[in-house]
Amino acid sequence: MKNSDTKGPKQKANQGPSIFSLLKPYSGLIFLLILFALLSNGLNLWIPKLIGSGIDAYSAGKFSYKTIATEFIIVVLIIFLFSVLQSLMQTYASEKVARDLRTRLADKISRQSFAYIQTTNPSRLLTNLTSDVDSIKLFVSQAIVSIVSSLFIIIGASILLLSINWELGLIVMAIIPIIGGTFFIVLGKVRVLFKKSREVIDWLNKVINESILGAMLIRVINSQQLEYDKFFEASNKAKDIGLSILRLFAWLIPIIVFTANMAGLMILVLGGHYVINGKMSLGDFAAFNSYLALLIFPILIIGFMSNVIAQATASYGRISEMLERPDTIEKGQLEANLTGAIEMKGINVNYGEKPVLKQIDLSVRPGSRTAVIGPTAAGKTQLLYLLSGLIKPDSGTLTFDGHQIDEYKSESFYQKLGFVFQDSILFNMSIRENITFSETVTDESLQRAIETAELKDFMESLPEGLNTSVSERGLSLSGGQKQRIMLARALAINPNVLLLDDFTARVDNQTETRILENIQRNYPDLTLISVTQKIAAVEHYEQIILLMQGEILAAGTHKELMNTSPEYVQIFNSQKSTSNYEL
Amino acid sequence: MNYNLNSIAEQEKKSSSWTGLKNLLNLVAEERKRIFLSLSAILVSASLNLLGPFLIGYTIDHYVQTGKYHGVLVFAGILLAMYSVAFVSSYLQTQWMGGVAQRAIFKLRNVIFNKIQQLPVAFFNENKAGDLISRVNNDTDKLSQFFSQALMQFISSIITMIGSGVFLLSINIKLGLATLVPALVILVFTRSVSPWVRKRNALSLKSSGGLSAEIQESLNNFKVIIAFNRRDYFRKKFDVANQHNYKTAMGTGMANNMFLPVFGLFSALAQLIVLSYGIYLITESEFSIGLLVSYLAYSTNFYNPLRQLAALWTSFQVALAGWDRISRMLSLQSNLEVTDSTPAKASESLLEFRNVHFGYTSSNEILHNVNFKLEKGKTYALVGPTGGGKTTTASIMARLYDPVSGVILLDGKDIKSYTPEERSKKIGFILQEPFLFTGTVRENILYGNEQYHESDQENFLAIIKATGLEGLLSVFDDGAETKVLSSGDSLSLGQRQLIAFMRAVLRKPDLLILDEATANIDTITEKLLGEILDKLPEETTLVIIAHRLNTIENADEIFFVNSGEVTRAGSFQEAMDKLIHHKRKS
Repeated sequence: MKNSDTKGPKQKANQGPSIFSLLKPYSGLIFLLILFALLSNGLNLWIPKLIGSGIDAYSAGKFSYKTIATEFIIVVLIIFLFSVLQSLMQTYASEKVARDLRTRLADKISRQSFAYIQTTNPSRLLTNLTSDVDSIKLFVSQAIVSIVSSLFIIIGASILLLSINWELGLIVMAIIPIIGGTFFIVLGKVRVLFKKSREVIDWLNKVINESILGAMLIRVINSQQLEYDKFFEASNKAKDIGLSILRLFAWLIPIIVFTANMAGLMILVLGGHYVINGKMSLGDFAAFNSYLALLIFPILIIGFMSNVIAQATASYGRISEMLERPDTIEKGQLEANLTGAIEMKGINVNYGEKPVLKQIDLSVRPGSRTAVIGPTAAGKTQLLYLLSGLIKPDSGTLTFDGHQIDEYKSESFYQKLGFVFQDSILFNMSIRENITFSETVTDESLQRAIETAELKDFMESLPEGLNTSVSERGLSLSGGQKQRIMLARALAINPNVLLLDDFTARVDNQTETRILENIQRNYPDLTLISVTQKIAAVEHYEQIILLMQGEILAAGTHKELMNTSPEYVQIFNSQKSTSNYEL
Repeated sequence: MNYNLNSIAEQEKKSSSWTGLKNLLNLVAEERKRIFLSLSAILVSASLNLLGPFLIGYTIDHYVQTGKYHGVLVFAGILLAMYSVAFVSSYLQTQWMGGVAQRAIFKLRNVIFNKIQQLPVAFFNENKAGDLISRVNNDTDKLSQFFSQALMQFISSIITMIGSGVFLLSINIKLGLATLVPALVILVFTRSVSPWVRKRNALSLKSSGGLSAEIQESLNNFKVIIAFNRRDYFRKKFDVANQHNYKTAMGTGMANNMFLPVFGLFSALAQLIVLSYGIYLITESEFSIGLLVSYLAYSTNFYNPLRQLAALWTSFQVALAGWDRISRMLSLQSNLEVTDSTPAKASESLLEFRNVHFGYTSSNEILHNVNFKLEKGKTYALVGPTGGGKTTTASIMARLYDPVSGVILLDGKDIKSYTPEERSKKIGFILQEPFLFTGTVRENILYGNEQYHESDQENFLAIIKATGLEGLLSVFDDGAETKVLSSGDSLSLGQRQLIAFMRAVLRKPDLLILDEATANIDTITEKLLGEILDKLPEETTLVIIAHRLNTIENADEIFFVNSGEVTRAGSFQEAMDKLIHHKRKS
């Protein structure tokens, strides 16, 4: 308990900007919203008065159906009008705030570096964009209106109570701090549980997500029961937390109703005493009872809304943390016309504590072909990420034509650099859109890329050709077809430098040979850097780099390496038996 | 079977709110006793609370006005006792009813998850992962909100309404009926717009599912977005989805918020009816002023919960829309049934394909009349150009799909007659795209392994040594205890393939299928893998799909897979010739 007490204020301090600051640009909308809410609520208080005056008129014998009906209907219609306007405004304002917030978030996310997205859990970003925005939406649509109109009623009723009889009024108003205190304590405890429950829900979602993404493996291994057990554990935990939240909440309403009833009892006992002693009129006594009824509901509402506000504040804290991240700044001014002269000096890259690339020195001549080979987890892919600016070196310099990557305009840099990733990444659009992913692609370069990637026959065999759509995870295509579409995507921008990450792993030898020939023929000036497992295919390359555990063990032509590097020879020998059959 | 949830939606006719409610209540059918108890608690506290004002009024009339303070104190005591009882019963009511709701949601979640586990791979091919995840997480959440918050209010509102209704009708039937006319209008109004409102809510849920799917796709593919300088792609795609979501959400919000003003309007009209008709009845001497005042109170008591019901109705509609989407999923059945074991069809081979035809969709056949046999203890290679049908053939061997026609015999029996346990024990399949679970490398290697799954670190290392796998662990920073974060993104593709390899080998299957399982592993490590495969028990049958020829040159037999046909290549050389000379027809 103490623990949570000390945590409380700290957390608040960390929550960052107030959620109300979010509403500034919408002050006009919010003003209208509050105005409509106050008008419709205020007019609602008028109805009892109308009825009262109707009864009085009848007692006085001046009752007229026509006047009472006209007045009544006019007021009711005005209330209807304002409450319709209020609810339209509620929807409009909240959806608008939500949409704008999502746009801002998406915009911010789209400007982050690859490293950031990699370290931040994408599922967290997804939460930011969906449930966190939803809880802010709820705040705008429900909390603001409820709190303003509740405060309005509480203050109004309190003033009336005090003006009738301040002693009894103060006693009745004592329920406000009691109810408020109960809310404060219960919600304080519940908030700790809410946090826990959020963690459990995250856990639950993770199990669900993995069971969907890994569906095929689960079916091969027949581990459905295992997954169900994992899920059941999380689900059970979620139920338990839900039940403990319930146990706390179950106290809330009874205590409040009981307190209110006690206040009513006080009015009866004390007020009855005053009336009997002649200190108070019977009418005032009756009014006290009705104002008490009026007072309780808004206090309840504020209590519940405080929870909505707390959740929205926490969500906004997470969101604004994201929104306040610095953009990756575009300070490059140079037009990149990469020749392919690449120079790396003393480059180190760490992932957390762990060094991935150590003291890399490397130079690549324009128009040359370089192969990178090495065992699994040697840092080959990271080397390509470095060359494409996806990650930045922790120390050392990397230059293209003597300039570092961030000196170039990123737009023009990426127009000259093509990257074929190792894993198949296809978007849920047509094949054409997947290949012409960069917007600068012309029809001519599209055709050339398709021919080079040996996709022409395949495209022609599809009934809808290039317009065939790729389902989300590209399941309807074979591994090699996906890989070749990725190659076509990289070639379609007419790059000067092409990075291939284990491109040939899923393409058969025959096709691979043809593709490599096609590249040489159709893109003669291309500087090629290729991560590969097969030496035979790259024996004639100008440079072969042997990477092991993040270090360059040897670099040179095939001949040189065969004479100088025992590790290279070892790898070569492991493939020798097959080299006869390489096509 | 059609597994596409979104296309099923269009065929199906909408169920009414009422049947939807009945289905929802089926979820809590087992809790009758609890529900009954909490209903009685609600009844007790509601009637005590309705009785309170009456007693206060009585006290005022009989004691305050007559100055008998002693009587006031006596009634105060009675009220105190009543309030205390109401206090306890309303606590119990929340506790019991809330418990019912929590358990209902618990049950529902488990049922959904269980259903997903039962569905075959085809289901996951036809639905977007993001959409499925949103269905399970989001829609269940909407239902759980309904159960945990709205349901109780729903019930107590209805009880208060019925109580007040009874009072209204029993005091004066004519005025009572007149007072209830606006309620009838509300009922008709609600009934007629509900289907439309629900449709709107379903649309809104669908578009937020689409939004999630959009975000997920872009975030997972972020490196392509950067490397092709298409940061604007994410923004544009997202903007479209966001704008669409905004429009549907706006329409839905308007539809949902429409109830409250309408309910307010009619409840105010009810008061007007009470007032004017009541006064008319008074002039006819059928009614009294005092009764009119309490009548006004009771009509407020009747219409206020109705207004609350309007708000609840919205969350009910949202819950029903969610329930529709969920029950569509629950109605699906696996098309991979286990049939009765047919008598052995005299086949000595471990696995045999007899006249197998297959297509993912009925219009597009991928495998045409495939026949082959795999003998025990032999190594087979499937070679052929990309897209020729190798992976499809392998998937059918592991019964991820059933053939459209033809039979697959495993140990002489139809593969359909094996239970999934028996089948997965016999057949190991290393998939082209390795999948890892969050956890450690060790946990992933032992995943689903009944024999070893309880091994601790030391035991595990002993097992690894005995199988000759210890050399493979060295590529992981912390060996077997290396952490695997968010589905394996922290490891390289080669590392993930190694884990999948070890996972399959440790299960000691009779038939082990390797589908490009070592494509991204360097040749030295791959040699090690070859040695490990050699050490497997002699009767293990291997099926290897690979593009690297060295991985298949030791095969006892080679099958050439092209254009949906599987033919036997007599020798390695013949397979080579076919690879070189046969033009790909796919």
